[in-house]
Amino acid sequence: MEYKNETVSIQGGWPLEHWQWKFESLDLIRKTLEGLKEKKLLALKCRNCGLVYFLPKPYCRCLSIPDQWVEIKDTGTITTYTFTGAWAYEGIQEEGPSGTPMIIAGVVYDGSDTMTVCTLDEAKPEEVSVGMRVQLKWPDEPQGRLDDIAHCVPI
Amino acid sequence: MAKNEVAVVGVGLSKHVSKRRDVNIAELVWEAVSACYEDAGLKPKDIDAFVTGNMPAFEGVNLPEEWGAGHWGAYGKPLLRITTGGTTGGSVAHGGYYAVASGLCDTVMAVAFEKQSDGNSTAGLNTVAIADAAAQFALGVDPGFLAAFGGGAVGVAVYQASSYMKSSGCTTHHLDKVAALCRNNAALNPYSHLKQPGLTPEDVAKTVLMQYPIRFGHVCPATDGACAMIFTTGEKARKLTDKPAYVLSVASCSDEAAMVGIAGSGTTNVDPCAQESCKIAAAKAYELAGIKDPRREIDLAEPYAPFAHQLLMFYERLLLCDEGEAPSVLDSGSMNLDGELPVCPSGGVISTNAIGASAMERVAECALQIMGKCGERQVKKEVHKAVAHGWGGAVNLNVVAVLSDTPRR
Repeated sequence: MEYKNETVSIQGGWPLEHWQWKFESLDLIRKTLEGLKEKKLLALKCRNCGLVYFLPKPYCRCLSIPDQWVEIKDTGTITTYTFTGAWAYEGIQEEGPSGTPMIIAGVVYDGSDTMTVCTLDEAKPEEVSVGMRVQLKWPDEPQGRLDDIAHCVPI
Repeated sequence: MAKNEVAVVGVGLSKHVSKRRDVNIAELVWEAVSACYEDAGLKPKDIDAFVTGNMPAFEGVNLPEEWGAGHWGAYGKPLLRITTGGTTGGSVAHGGYYAVASGLCDTVMAVAFEKQSDGNSTAGLNTVAIADAAAQFALGVDPGFLAAFGGGAVGVAVYQASSYMKSSGCTTHHLDKVAALCRNNAALNPYSHLKQPGLTPEDVAKTVLMQYPIRFGHVCPATDGACAMIFTTGEKARKLTDKPAYVLSVASCSDEAAMVGIAGSGTTNVDPCAQESCKIAAAKAYELAGIKDPRREIDLAEPYAPFAHQLLMFYERLLLCDEGEAPSVLDSGSMNLDGELPVCPSGGVISTNAIGASAMERVAECALQIMGKCGERQVKKEVHKAVAHGWGGAVNLNVVAVLSDTPRR
């Protein structure tokens, strides 16, 4: 069958910002956020297998419920990284602070078994490597929000 | 253990381009479905059941089978929809395999597709990620940071590529070589999207850096396309064709999501290139297929590689060489169409990515190569056993299928 006409598109929306979710894990994360105000990293340890989750997770991969709060260090190791290039997508131009490339790293903090993501400041892209040691860069007055732990620097 | 031998007797592919404005979704899929009926010499009345899948919400609709079924000859028959992210097509093929292998159905059509130009793939991805992102926004993560962190689908791949390059010694030149290999193969494939005959690694190296270490030339296009396959029992297959492609085994394995855990929690899957679940699925698939030494017994591989480093990374995780060895295997020429173990002769996902169909097109290419139906891109060596792979889910799922020119004895 031959179709001579092009298909027609009609406008529609998908208002995701109006959706709502219920997360049991937020109660756990809120406790960690409280700790941030005192510059403490509170993680949740599984008593069964010993894995330490930061940020806390309501269930362990061994299927136990982690319920022991432990404090971990604010130093860690980079497991992976990227930095933004001259990158434009659908009209969005990606840039880091003051026009320099933003370096984003996966960091495993000492004492935890999980990775979290933050920016690596005070370093040049060519200096970053997997295995590099880093330190969390605390704000002067942490507000108990995730962006308190959004930046790290090389040790 | 499978009750029935399972074989592929028909494969159909639509034309694959970035925007198919001449057809709607059902019509696009019909191109693949009708080609598949023709290839197998079967009609809709011969099909016992249908398995179908595509990405959720990528076309802006969530039940495409509702109006697709009529177009495919599926009315009045069992129909199952499977959607597992990037692995969707692989899971759909597994669905076709399971239905026949279990003895519950004799002949099953598997249909996988994506018509990305009909909707907004970014909005579709957002529907997948929004729940976890919403939790982070609520707790004080700057949306700008999350956008830079994620960077769309490229986001997950760049972290994987960095750690893979560190652990394997893969260089950016290897990434350029992979892209050139695949796009040149794609130029020989009438069903591929991005055909770049004569493309050199040097050409790829000149493309813009999207996010380190991934350049524009290392990334798949967004494609409109569809794939259909007919699975039937070994007994029926031998009556239909002289050269069916037997599916010896399928296996899949899920793992904890990499990069970010649920609702912003940490993930113990700390190395995005480890892909332990791929190794587990591959080992299981080889065991079920009776393959003891995949490096010697596998003749051809179709790893799922929308990003250049993934071809090498998954070649290793499919246990086809030692970890860290794939870059030197690439340098040896073994992965070429005339090599010892050709990889992505179709041009791979990096050349053609109709997302929901992509992982099934890996299985389809293995079947077509075994049946000797690949025309210009038919590999030089005789293909007895081939491995097809898919990667997706919340970047935590791997699916593997092993195909052969002979049933398992």
